[in-house]
Parts: sequence; C-alpha cells; structure tokens
Amino acid sequence: MDLYKIVAIVAFVLCLSMLTKQFLTLVAAGKPADYSKPSGNVKKGIRYSFTGAMSPFEKESACLHFPTYIAGLIFHSGIFLSLFIFLIQTFFLNLIDYSTIAKLLSVILVAGALSGAGILIKRVASRNLKAISGPDDYISNILTTAAQAISAYLLITGKGYAIYFLLFSVLFIWIPIGKTRHLLYFFFARYYLGLFYGRRGTWPQKQTGNE
Amino acid sequence: MNKIPDLKIKDSKLLTHLNACVKCGLCADSCMFYKTFYTPDFIPATKVALVSSVYRRYNTMAGRFVPALVGAEDLDEKMAEKMVDLLFGACTMCGRCVKHCSVGVDIAYVVRKGREMLAQMDLVPKSLQATVDAAVQSGNNMSIPEDEFSGTIGWMEDELKDDLEDNDASIPLNMKGKRIFYTLNPREPKFFPLSISAMAKIFYAAGESWTLSSKYYDVTNYGFFNGNSEEAATIAKNLHDEVVKLDASTLVLGECGHGSRANRWEAPNYLNKAYEFEMTTAVELIAAYIKDGKIRLDKSANKDIVTIHDPCNLVRNGGLLNEIRFVVNSAAESINEMSPFGNDNFCCGGGGGLLAMSEFNDRRIKAGEIKADQIRKSGAKVVVTPCHNCVDQLTQLNHTYKLGVKIKTIAELVADALIIEKNL
Repeated sequence: MDLYKIVAIVAFVLCLSMLTKQFLTLVAAGKPADYSKPSGNVKKGIRYSFTGAMSPFEKESACLHFPTYIAGLIFHSGIFLSLFIFLIQTFFLNLIDYSTIAKLLSVILVAGALSGAGILIKRVASRNLKAISGPDDYISNILTTAAQAISAYLLITGKGYAIYFLLFSVLFIWIPIGKTRHLLYFFFARYYLGLFYGRRGTWPQKQTGNE
Repeated sequence: MNKIPDLKIKDSKLLTHLNACVKCGLCADSCMFYKTFYTPDFIPATKVALVSSVYRRYNTMAGRFVPALVGAEDLDEKMAEKMVDLLFGACTMCGRCVKHCSVGVDIAYVVRKGREMLAQMDLVPKSLQATVDAAVQSGNNMSIPEDEFSGTIGWMEDELKDDLEDNDASIPLNMKGKRIFYTLNPREPKFFPLSISAMAKIFYAAGESWTLSSKYYDVTNYGFFNGNSEEAATIAKNLHDEVVKLDASTLVLGECGHGSRANRWEAPNYLNKAYEFEMTTAVELIAAYIKDGKIRLDKSANKDIVTIHDPCNLVRNGGLLNEIRFVVNSAAESINEMSPFGNDNFCCGGGGGLLAMSEFNDRRIKAGEIKADQIRKSGAKVVVTPCHNCVDQLTQLNHTYKLGVKIKTIAELVADALIIEKNL
C-alpha cells in the first residue's frame, strides 16, 4: 500500500475516533431534565424538526436565499458523496475501473465543488459574511470544496492519487476540529430544537379543534 | 478580567448549541435588530459566536493552543462590554432566528447562557437588575407596597360592583381553597387597572372560583432576563409557595409573554420539580370558557378591524397560536392578520427585558419600527395582544410612529364583548 494511502487511513481513523469521543461526550452528558408539563407531542416535534421544518416553505432563511439554499444542498450532497467515494476507493474497489459510474459521480462532485466555490466567493464578497467569518470558516470551505474537486478529477482522469489521499488526510484531521464537526452536532441541534418546539406544541402546531 | 465565569455545561444541550453554528449568516434576515440597523454585529450568529468563542478559548484544546484558527477569544473587558451591548441590548431572545436557522442552533438559549456569564461577573445592566431586585425584595417588579395594591383592588372591586350592579361581584384577595389563583403584571395595578376589572368581569360571567394574592400576584419573572438563575428561582418559588399556601388547584398566568413562559416552562426547572398544581395561561382559560359555553360573547361589540400581535413567548415559544385566534375570532367581527404572523411573527421589540433597560431605549424603539410597519399595513384600528410588556412597547410605538391604533389585551377585548347574566 502506498504511503499517502496509509496516511489517509490513519487520518480517517483519527477523525472517526475524535468524532466518536465527541459523540460519547454528548451522550454521556445527557439531556437536561425538564419538569414542565408538555402541551404538545415531543416525538412528533423531533420528527418534524428533521423533516417538515427543513423545507424551504417552512424556513425563511431558505426561501429568502433560495440560490444559496440550493447551492448548500448540492455542496453537502457532494461532500457526503466524496466521503463515500473515499471509503470505496480506499477499502473496496477502484471506481475508475467503472468508467460510467465514475463519470456520473463526478458530475455531482463537480456541481458540489462549484457550489462550494460559489459559497466561498459569497463569504469573501459579502460584507456580513466577511464580518462573521474567521480562518475556520475559510479552511472548512476550502478543504471540503477541494475534496470534491480532487475526487472528481481522480474519477475523470484516473490521476492524482497522491494529492487525493493527502488532501483527504488534511480534511480528516480538520473535520473534528473546525466547524466541519457540525456533521455530528447538526443532528443533536435538530433533536433539541424538535424537543423544545414539540413540547410546546409549536412543531407541529397543535390544534385546538376550533380551526 | 480576574474571574472567568462558568458556563455550567451540565448536559449536552448547551454543548450542542455552542458547537453547531456554521456561520452561514442566513439568520440575519430573521432578526429585527439586524433588519433595522444592518450592522453585522447584530446578526444572530455574531451573538452566538461571542459566547462560543469564549467557551472554546477556556474549554477546548484547540481553543487553548491555536485560538486564532478556531475563533476562540479571550474574555477581556472589551469582549465583556461587547457581550453586554449585544446580548442584553440587541436581542430580545424572541427566537425568530432559531426557527429559521439552517442548522437549528437555539440562539436565544445561547444568548441567555451568555447573560448568565455576564450575571456572574455582575455586568447586568443596572436598570434591569433593579427590576429583579424589586421583585426579589418586595414580591413584585414595581415594588408596589402590599397595602397600596390591596387598596387598588378594593376600589376596583367597588367599581366592578357598580358596573355589574351586583354587590356580590368581587375581586377576591387571599382566599383559600379557590379553583383559580390568578396573577397579573404589576403594570396593571399601577397603570392599567381596567385590565384587572376586565378579567374580573370574565371571571364573574363564568361564575369562576378565584383569588388574587395581595403579596405574590406578580406573573413576571425578570430573573428570566437578567441571567441570574438563583434570583429567577427565588421569584418563581415565592409564587409557587403562595399558590400552595392558598391551596388553589390552578395557577392562571395573566397576560404576560415572558411571565407565562418563565412560570409555565422554566420555573419547574428552576425549582427542580414538577408543580403540584395545574398551570394555564389567561388565553387558554378564556378559550376554555368560550368552548364550554361558560361565557357568551357578542362580536358586534368589537366592530373595528382588529389585528393580533403574537407575543413570542406565548406563540412561537409557547404554542398558543390557535388558542389566541380562537378567542379573538370569538370576540371581534373582523380580523386582519399581520404579515408575517403567528410562529413567524416579528417581536415588538419590548421583550428580553429591554423595556426595563433604559440604557437601550432608543435602539428598542427604532427596532420596533418593523412592528409599526406591520401594524400600519394590516389596516387595523385595534391591536390586540395577550402580553402587557408588548402592550407597553406597542403603546410607545403607537405614539412614536403615529399609528393611531388602540392597543388592547385579550381580556379587554373579550370583556367588551361579554354578555353578562347576573350571578344569582
């Protein structure tokens, strides 16, 4: 096995370990006790938080910024796909041997990388985003965008193995440190939001029977 | 700074919200402060970052060794000043940004935790702290002496008897064993006594068994705003213990958004126990009276076009969207909703303790311009809202922006439409 592939695997294991540690810390900390009497359905609230509440029709931030919302969806699809492709490439088979599938996947990755680049440009150009951004925001964006770009390049040309694995090594080290760790915290955030609104009957909105 | 305050991370909720923000900035358009002033500092993500950056600096390895890389910041005097300005003075914790956050960060919760840090450092704005001190020491946030309150209730009762032509009509004080223990905002006996008699009329019409306390009648809990959980717990306990002492079966939370939230949702957690008695809001009680036929209303008594201002802590953070509409639709002929409304409403600007913080008066009134525009566009002549703090803010907006509307509580709207049959 090539050295750069070994480095990438070690980095992946480290990433997994750190995320697992963070996950276990969250689980061990537990959720806060709540002695108030619910007036809504907590389970429905949590379910809604992961489904209906994410729709652009429910979320003003999505419908007011629809292009950014779509770019975000494509960008995240590309990120997850690139991580999946890394696992396949590293541990199972060489996707380049399946050229039709490789080219299909690379279309999504290119779209994801372009979306990531667009989001990065927006972050640099927008007064608001520039004001709230720091090194973490730029590094996270650049690494995840580059990961998709290099994955697409590899699948299309069959070249760039060394840089592919080295880039993913850096990405895996960064994921649990930077804001990219939201890949874990996102789920807990949605859970707690669903818990909050579900308990109060806001998600989904409880009916009085007189509507 | 000598003392780094403890963020008291006891569970995964705070840990989650301190780590989840991705600084997408999409929360900006949900925040009335940002939409009014267009300052990046007022973006909700900035407020989260203030708290999370300090957390990261003192609680994480990356924050300790490579702070610049991960946005970790020292808690120095400049930072503390900024936190006071933004967390107390540029956020009402209305939660509009929370609902629309891409990830689901409970920004209002993080802001409150930031306030808790500032409270530990004795950096609560003086005017807000004075309100809390008054509540802790006197039992109500306006330091109304007990005999003055009893005197006000006494003459309100006399007027009620005259109004209803019934000597048995009453506003009971300190009666034991009643079904309902009612609470008010101290602004009512001080400035809006007619809202007390409005509710008294509703109770009369419903034939209700109820009482007030002459000492602990205050529904508000500004400890929810100042970040001092011990003071919040003291205020909550005083009310809780009074309900138990008077042996009432249901605590009815008078028309106050944060008061309803602080008692209904937060107080059991301040006191670490489920309450022994039921709790409901005045809106839910009135809705039940209408549904059960205990009171009858004549809508034609309220002919003016009405619009509803949704208090954030009752609707978005309290689930009472439909209850409020049911009551208002039962009491008024014509309703025009604001846009947006309900769970997407804009805060009036008076929440978060801002009404008590004279340091931020100008900013509060300016941020309220969004609400003023909403009212104007609704074409309504009457704005009804089940929250006295909102009434106060809306009254000031009415004056400042020359809206020419009447501001009413739900009880006042309903009382105007009441068909009263004398209790025999």
